Amino acid sequence: MNPKRTMTLNLTDQEMVVLEELSVQKDLSKTALLRQALRLYQMVDARISRGEKLFFEDPDKQKAELMVL
Amino acid sequence: MKFNTDRKWLERRAEQEDRHFISVGGLISTLDPTCETEVASPPSVETTKTAFVRLLQLARRERRLTLEKLAEKADVDLAELLKIETDETFTPGLRTVHQLGLTLDLPAKKLMVLAGLLQVKDPHLQQASVRFAARSEPIGNVSPEEHAALEEYVKFLNER
Amino acid sequence: MRETIQIIDSQSGLPIDAEIFDEITLEHFIETQADWRPVVLDAARALSKDPNRATLIPRHYHWDWTRKEAELKMLALKFYGISCQGHLQGIMKVDTVARSCRLPEQQGKPLVYIDYIETAPWNIKLLMEPLGKRQQYRGVGSRLFEAAVLQSEEEGFKGRLGLHSLPGSEGFYVKECGMTPVGRDPHKQNLLWCEFTPEQSRRYLAGE
Repeated sequence: MNPKRTMTLNLTDQEMVVLEELSVQKDLSKTALLRQALRLYQMVDARISRGEKLFFEDPDKQKAELMVL
Repeated sequence: MKFNTDRKWLERRAEQEDRHFISVGGLISTLDPTCETEVASPPSVETTKTAFVRLLQLARRERRLTLEKLAEKADVDLAELLKIETDETFTPGLRTVHQLGLTLDLPAKKLMVLAGLLQVKDPHLQQASVRFAARSEPIGNVSPEEHAALEEYVKFLNER
Repeated sequence: MRETIQIIDSQSGLPIDAEIFDEITLEHFIETQADWRPVVLDAARALSKDPNRATLIPRHYHWDWTRKEAELKMLALKFYGISCQGHLQGIMKVDTVARSCRLPEQQGKPLVYIDYIETAPWNIKLLMEPLGKRQQYRGVGSRLFEAAVLQSEEEGFKGRLGLHSLPGSEGFYVKECGMTPVGRDPHKQNLLWCEFTPEQSRRYLAGE
């Protein structure tokens, strides 16, 4: 495994609640969850930078909402 | 990572694997299977052709030339230029490649090899071509990385 | 990451040291094109002459070389390679954000998705046998698969794994590895989505 460095994270109460809820939901440690978020962010950002577009699609496929990051 | 060191485990897994193909459909299902279409073209030609097209595109974009402008400058058929850029199975004519080489300041003879017009056995050329194709994009502004890749590739072609 | 593992040398039948690593470079991709592809094409040509063996014809794919270098920088992606005697014997690409679990009991939880896994054609028994040749190494694909499972554990995904099996490989993933066939995916040419639960992963690693 790659050597790791430590960072201190200051989160609001609300952010902590969300982090904890998501961790339980995804069965992940808080660190692993934030790591996933970072990976996703990098991936999405890279593809958008290349000119691709990110959409959310309504379950009825009526509307597709463009995500701008 | 703690890989299993039990020999029996390995033997059993190898035996299971031998009974099947193990391909998955993630990346592969988005790619084109080329087996059926591989008739006359030796495998190396396809990679250099990709590099040929990419090389033309980048050289054209560096000079901010549209396809029309390039066709005009090089005195070649616009329809043929379009085909070169969009149809990777298309082999351009000798004169076209020669003219493009002159206009874009690229070594004409090397271009002909890349385009599949001349056969030359050169594994280094194939490797460099693949590397170049992997570092470039077909459209958009030429990024610094692409510019560097282009320079490196053209230098390589000129040196051989 | 670079570790020594064992695969089997088909000639001697004995385990042999090989290296598994995740520092894949463009040179490795080039190697799959330059070294593997001609063998795959040869096998395909030979097999296509025999109507009884038409189903075995391997596919070699026109690699999309664009962006390969950019992909190597993505945290979400990992490329593994296995080399033995100085040659690449297998390659795998996994993705940790692209997909999540579909089995109801673990719906939405993250998993390691095997996007691509391939052994060098000279190691594939089903390809070499009809050509009257002996495969070179055995167990390469299994080691790559094992690495994916181990990565899932390291990520905290508890061994959860997912993949779309190609039709010819369903037997391997479902019967031999013990994955759950969840259903055909209409968004992926109706390929079979296979998934590992933590319990199934554990059993795979333990050899149960």
